[in-house]
Amino acid sequence: MQDPRIRIAVAAVLSLAAFISLQGAAAVFLWWLVFTPRLQLVKRIRLVLSLLLMIAFFSLVLELFGGGGLSYFTRMTVIVLIGMWLFSEQKSGEFLSIGVWLFGDRAGFELGMVAEMGMQSLVAVTTDLDRIRMAEKIKGMQWEVRSLVPAGLVLVHGALARAEDTAELLAIRGYQHGGTLCPKFFTRRMDIVAGIFSLCILIFALIPVSEFFILYR
Amino acid sequence: MGVPMVRITLNRVYAVRDHWSLSASGTFNEGVHLVSGDVGSGKSTLALMMAELLPLSGGDIEREEITTSMLSLQFPELHVTALSVAEECASWGVTPDEILDAVGLTGKKEASPLSLSRGELKRLHLACVLAKDYDLLLLDEPFSSLDCEEKVKLCARIGQKSQGICVIFTHEQNILPRVNRIWEIVDGTLVDCGIPPDAFQHWRHVPPVIERLTALGSPPDNISRDDFLEAICRIQG
Repeated sequence: MQDPRIRIAVAAVLSLAAFISLQGAAAVFLWWLVFTPRLQLVKRIRLVLSLLLMIAFFSLVLELFGGGGLSYFTRMTVIVLIGMWLFSEQKSGEFLSIGVWLFGDRAGFELGMVAEMGMQSLVAVTTDLDRIRMAEKIKGMQWEVRSLVPAGLVLVHGALARAEDTAELLAIRGYQHGGTLCPKFFTRRMDIVAGIFSLCILIFALIPVSEFFILYR
Repeated sequence: MGVPMVRITLNRVYAVRDHWSLSASGTFNEGVHLVSGDVGSGKSTLALMMAELLPLSGGDIEREEITTSMLSLQFPELHVTALSVAEECASWGVTPDEILDAVGLTGKKEASPLSLSRGELKRLHLACVLAKDYDLLLLDEPFSSLDCEEKVKLCARIGQKSQGICVIFTHEQNILPRVNRIWEIVDGTLVDCGIPPDAFQHWRHVPPVIERLTALGSPPDNISRDDFLEAICRIQG
């Protein structure tokens, strides 16, 4: 999807639809199958597996102690798939463009810049984590719970160092507030089609299907 | 019967990412090799592939008689797996006291490795790595974060290595050790420039000092500071 405005709006609408009801989650899953590169995405983003494992754990606890765990797992899994699609499609500079388009050169620019920095930091942390695991392999160590504390410290240390560097860089350049940018967006016909379908899914998710079937009987 | 030779051969190895690719072919024999290239050219990717830590998009790597290998990553923090400097030394299988004395960090045994400056941590890390002999030693940007004095010491330490393959991936231009072969990454391809001094003719990333000495009719024999000094002495008669 080319247009980041539609992409983010679609992701928000679909996440809401999937969270509201099971039938909404099923429809969102169908949308995901039709409008995204599907399995290529799953292969590229390895974090998904650990996220799904975490959701599975909480779902199991929910199922054992209160019920509804399966429904929770299904809905959250679909939301993760949508989030994964959004993350993989995101390109550098898009948040800045959207921020300026929405809120102008001052607050919009600043919000967009903060979001860009957040995304950059996320990518950097993922790369660092990969390298840390490689470094442990080099030393012949196994990835285990005991490794988490030093690895976490290295990740936090790296993130703080990068934040400090960025702050210094902005200060050196004399940055005070806001900035100018002329955002440009390219909208394909398929973006609009996918957007319309996402709205239809939200409406479908809001329909009380069970009551409809009672009436039918 | 001769002593078996260690060797690593890259057979049409390549890596592909979104809008970037790297291809490499060639044989690295025993000795010190220099792989130069611009920032982002793929030096670290090649090092990771040679260390078998990154899957290849294609091709294969033959390793002959290599039983031990080591890769030093560019950023020393990423190697930290312990909460104190002493434990960090121990995690490399070396005695903390000896290493800390050698790198001037005596008295910092109990400090957190992350509380050291980048330069101190790099010195500590390289000392731990170089304390042992490996059949294949890959050093990714070993000179980064080091001052001139430490770079010279590192070159001397690398020069003392008498066995195995040592590959240095760097864009350092001024302080380098004597090497047996020069390689460079140009436009996503690993190029074998050959043996110094003949390699200088084909080396696109040739350091300015070598270019200047060659222009003055006194090219150095190799790329170390001693070779530069010797070439300068030749000019001055």
